[in-house]
Amino acid sequence: MKEVKALVLTGYGLNCDYETDFSLRIAGADSHRVHINEIISPVASRQEIRLDCYQILVFGGGFSWGDDHGAGVLMAAKIRHHLGEALSRFISAGKLIIGICNGFQALVNLGLVPAFGLKYWERNVALTYNDSGNFIDTWVNLKVNTLSPCIFTRGIEAIELPVRHGEGKFFAQSDQLEMLFADNQVVLTYADQEGKPARGAWPENPNGSLRDIAGICDPTGRIFGLMPHPEAFNNFTNHPDWTREKECLRREGKEPLSWEGDGIKIFRNAVDYVRKNLSL
Amino acid sequence: MPARLEIRLKKELLDAEGCSIKKKSKEYFGYEVNEIRVIRVLTIDAQLDQSKLEKIREDLFTNPVTEESSYSPIAEDFDWLIWVGYRPGVRDTAGSTAQEAIEDVLGIAFREGEAVFTSKLFEVKGNLIRDHAARIARDLLANEIIQQWKVIGKKEWDPQVGIGHVTPKVILAKTPTVREIPIESDQDLERISRERNLALNPRDIPVIRNYFLRDDIREQRKKMGLDLPTDVEIEYISQARSDHCNHNTFRGLFRYRDLSTGETLNVDNLFKTCIETPTLAIQKDKDWVVSVLWDNAGVGRFDEDHLYVITGETHNSPSNMEAYGGAITGIVGIYRDPMGTGLGSRLILGMYGFCVGPRNYAGDLSPHLHPRRLLDGVIEGVRDGGNKSGIPTPYGLLLFDENYLGKCLVFVTAMGIMPARVAGGPSHEKAAKPDDLIIMCGGRVGKDGIHGVTAASETYSEHTPAGHVQIGDPYTQKKMHDFLIEARDESLFSFITDNGGGGLSSSIGESARFSNGCRVDLDRVPLKYEGLDQWEIWVSESQERMTLAVNPVHMERFMELSRKHAVESTVIGEFTDSGYLRLDYKGKTCAYVRMDLLESQFPKWEFDAEWIPPSLKGLSEPVITEPSMYGKILQSMLARPNICSRNWIVRQYDHEVQGGSVIKPLVGKHRDVPGDAAVVRPVLSSRRGIAVSQALAPHYSAIDTYHMAANAIDEAVRKVLAVGGDPRHLGGVDNFCWPTVQYDAVLNPDGKYKAAQLVRANWALRDYCLAYGIPLLSGKDSMYIDGNLAGPYGERRRVSGLPTLLFTVCSVIEDIEGCVSMDAKFAGDLVYILGETSDELGGGEYYQMLGYTGVNVPTVDANKSLKAYELLSLAIKRGLTASCHAVSRGGLGAHLALVAMAGEIGMDLDLALIPTRRGLSPSRRLFSESAGRFIITVSQENRNSFEAVMSGAPAALIGRCLPTARFTVRLGDEMIMSEDIMALKECWKGPFGGLV
Repeated sequence: MKEVKALVLTGYGLNCDYETDFSLRIAGADSHRVHINEIISPVASRQEIRLDCYQILVFGGGFSWGDDHGAGVLMAAKIRHHLGEALSRFISAGKLIIGICNGFQALVNLGLVPAFGLKYWERNVALTYNDSGNFIDTWVNLKVNTLSPCIFTRGIEAIELPVRHGEGKFFAQSDQLEMLFADNQVVLTYADQEGKPARGAWPENPNGSLRDIAGICDPTGRIFGLMPHPEAFNNFTNHPDWTREKECLRREGKEPLSWEGDGIKIFRNAVDYVRKNLSL
Repeated sequence: MPARLEIRLKKELLDAEGCSIKKKSKEYFGYEVNEIRVIRVLTIDAQLDQSKLEKIREDLFTNPVTEESSYSPIAEDFDWLIWVGYRPGVRDTAGSTAQEAIEDVLGIAFREGEAVFTSKLFEVKGNLIRDHAARIARDLLANEIIQQWKVIGKKEWDPQVGIGHVTPKVILAKTPTVREIPIESDQDLERISRERNLALNPRDIPVIRNYFLRDDIREQRKKMGLDLPTDVEIEYISQARSDHCNHNTFRGLFRYRDLSTGETLNVDNLFKTCIETPTLAIQKDKDWVVSVLWDNAGVGRFDEDHLYVITGETHNSPSNMEAYGGAITGIVGIYRDPMGTGLGSRLILGMYGFCVGPRNYAGDLSPHLHPRRLLDGVIEGVRDGGNKSGIPTPYGLLLFDENYLGKCLVFVTAMGIMPARVAGGPSHEKAAKPDDLIIMCGGRVGKDGIHGVTAASETYSEHTPAGHVQIGDPYTQKKMHDFLIEARDESLFSFITDNGGGGLSSSIGESARFSNGCRVDLDRVPLKYEGLDQWEIWVSESQERMTLAVNPVHMERFMELSRKHAVESTVIGEFTDSGYLRLDYKGKTCAYVRMDLLESQFPKWEFDAEWIPPSLKGLSEPVITEPSMYGKILQSMLARPNICSRNWIVRQYDHEVQGGSVIKPLVGKHRDVPGDAAVVRPVLSSRRGIAVSQALAPHYSAIDTYHMAANAIDEAVRKVLAVGGDPRHLGGVDNFCWPTVQYDAVLNPDGKYKAAQLVRANWALRDYCLAYGIPLLSGKDSMYIDGNLAGPYGERRRVSGLPTLLFTVCSVIEDIEGCVSMDAKFAGDLVYILGETSDELGGGEYYQMLGYTGVNVPTVDANKSLKAYELLSLAIKRGLTASCHAVSRGGLGAHLALVAMAGEIGMDLDLALIPTRRGLSPSRRLFSESAGRFIITVSQENRNSFEAVMSGAPAALIGRCLPTARFTVRLGDEMIMSEDIMALKECWKGPFGGLV
């Protein structure tokens, strides 16, 4: 069986690349950390890296270009300018793209999500400053819209993940919001511990996102952007309650938890999809 | 004319930045502002035609969904308009990234002198007078050291002109010149030292003069076209001899005298006797200690294939002047140390420690920055420095005390990880070899950080650079970090070190010792702007730079990788074995100094140290009868600034990035109580973890710094053990911050006492590191934590910081699944206390709360404690403990409550059962700060196994966890207190609960 190849972008202030790469490998992909410039302007002494050779592309977290002119803005400009065509090919080939945190901000600025009516490259929504005016690191409860076409969240109804951002407030005009919900392009929403909608309440909704939106996809479900970090829940010891859960299970005489974290499911869905649906 | 692009959020969007300024205006000054909205300004000083300007406005700088923008002024709705921009020469990262993006999108390159500058406009609405608006500008939005500001009234506003076009460029209209330094007499050199702010020690001066007057030296210098020493040379020598680089205080001679016994003792070299010798002795027994005492940071073994790296330092003075800039420069700067250790490590975590004046200080003195503003600034500096570097910040401390009004302390600590071998060789070894090229990599050189000499002597103009205060740039450094890791893995360099204090002077001066010489072309060093003198290029402390040695055969690939990562790297010279440090500028030699000069016999610094034991100082125990309202005391104590929750800081720091978070900074049922130590999994595929914690106890210094240091060490050790750390693997880092110890009858009349305090703290460091088997993997000392503050009568008062030792302990955990958090977990679980409680409230929180110091400071019995710690560690390893927590400030009372609050679970406890001597009163049992203690909860089923393991240790079962939220404390049958745990939590969260 040929391997599913994933490319995790690095460079220019991006981070999270090691753990994203690690998560994809656990999920079964042949994953590579690749500097943006290695695709844009390959050097003579090394083999060229072509986006066409990959099936999963990750815009990961970080502070691209320091985020000084709006999170993900300069990243999007760089990508659109140098990789626009290659990305269009990638999308038409039915391949998968996930943008996490800074990567979601880049996807939104590129117009790869929501891409209403499959019209890519149009900016319709935005991720702007948290209502609190500050960066926040906290774990959130997320409700998954099971009617969404999103490939990455198949089989998941709810998930806990950490958010870590200063600009994660989802914003769009109300007609666009309606369209997002109507088309089931809203994939993740912030919820409380019982799974009920956060309804804007802090810190369950940590940034003031309109309609509690935490993640959206394009109409095909193959391009997914989200503020929370699935790669930061790659192991069960990442969960804030794991020492409590471990003790609880031990007393019930149950087996210890699975070593793997829930975030891996999102990457595994992607790998499984590629394996089943794309010729490798 | 430059173009000025103004951008703002559309009206219907909440302006979060404006809201938080509005909130602070109210909190800081009591001003009722109706609304503040922010306009971002980009002043583009480049030749771009209208269509290009329009393209970048649309494509780059305006989000059509949320923003509107224009090249004409857009401010319209305000009572006051405040403009804030940088001063010339201050790092404007956003300006640089804007330029980078414009060049990329338009496919052009800016010409020499073209640039983009960022600034901000604040539309302020509200019934304020001009002075109020000016105060918001001066004391909240801008810091005059690095920024300029203007306040514009509604009536003065010309919507056609707007704010004008301010382009804060540095223009130094001068030709770089090398000057000769007269050395006719010692007085000459002393005068020069004063004038140039070199801080040369008077006793070093004859040594330096003698060198330059030697016949053989003069002969050789003549051949190089040199005669008298040049300013480049004198600056180089003074940098190398500075206390900062050379640790002259710690290597000095202390004549120690105990005033009570009259005993005298010459203590020669604290570094050697209390740090180096014990550490080397411990290293012999511990094979995990890999590299200590010579490199930028210490190195320990993580596993067969990986080494970890740790170091810590302070950034006090700059943070005191410009809190945000100082702190971000500090954290970003400490990250370069692990990057420059061995052949370079990848950063895995950072930590912070802030010691500041009370947040609500309302006393007579006027510190340069009010503690509230200072604290906000240092918090934000560490936030941006850590978060934007992609390095988790999972641990930190904050301590308030009025003595830190004179100078705040900002501790920064960093850890990295590297493969144990690079290209088959050990990664912790490195050496610059003759003929290796000297590469400077990363940022460019400007007047930054130069010891303020010229900044002070030049007349201020609008193009005078703001020299000595910098703003660290994590973006530039992150790119360099990624580049260097890749270059390391391809084995492209043989040596690496960072440029910190002393700039190239230190980094090249020290690395040239390996090859025994170097030659540098100062004119090849890339500059931010023209006109720097040669000596300025040599000693500038501009940030985000590393110095490397690269064999010429690797140059091509090295530069190719550098370009890939968009990092600037420049060859500026080569290492030699000539025995000389030689600096040229445009072909002419301007420095030629024998490498062995700095190893020659410079006289030791000397100090008189007089120890006045606490009783002789008149300290005694306070007379306080037993209180009747224990619950009320606990409530008050939990709301004390040094005990209460500071979660607002923790939440601003990314502690999850890199995906290896195991024990987080906040733990418990609602994830809101600080954990004892941070645990991370730095190698994601491994079950191993690194645990790390820090402690400080400067309030005990008022009684005896020996016990201050002992307690800091013991507390840090216990915290690491509490999460599951290994008592056989405890690596230490010592960070001393001390007031001036040189006696001066007028300026520092208690200098001798402070010197004795320093000696005693070092003795404790030696004794307890030996007892616990802690090698000092790294450490730094920062002296002179004094300030002269303006009082209300035109006077200035000297305020000296508390003698402070921040102690860091790290450990390697074999299997993270065994880690334990501090929160009580289940009703019915048993509560144990390990360690004896004595009458030791001196310098502690309870006495402070009632206005006393006392004299019975906690003492540490290392041998007894260590045995107990080893048993506890075994119990944790066997999975017998449900929670474990080290007791510290506030004693059992505060810490039992914290364990209960973290689990949101009640407890029923009997103080009569704690290990102690008979007759100790309930308040002393509750609030004594005796060292060596833990609170442990254990399930009923593990009771026997736990007690069996702990037999022989002073552990006692004192109660159990309850299904209700009642926190009940008894002394036998007598009820001491019964409090609602949620109400206690509210008290604890109250003081800073409103901050985000």
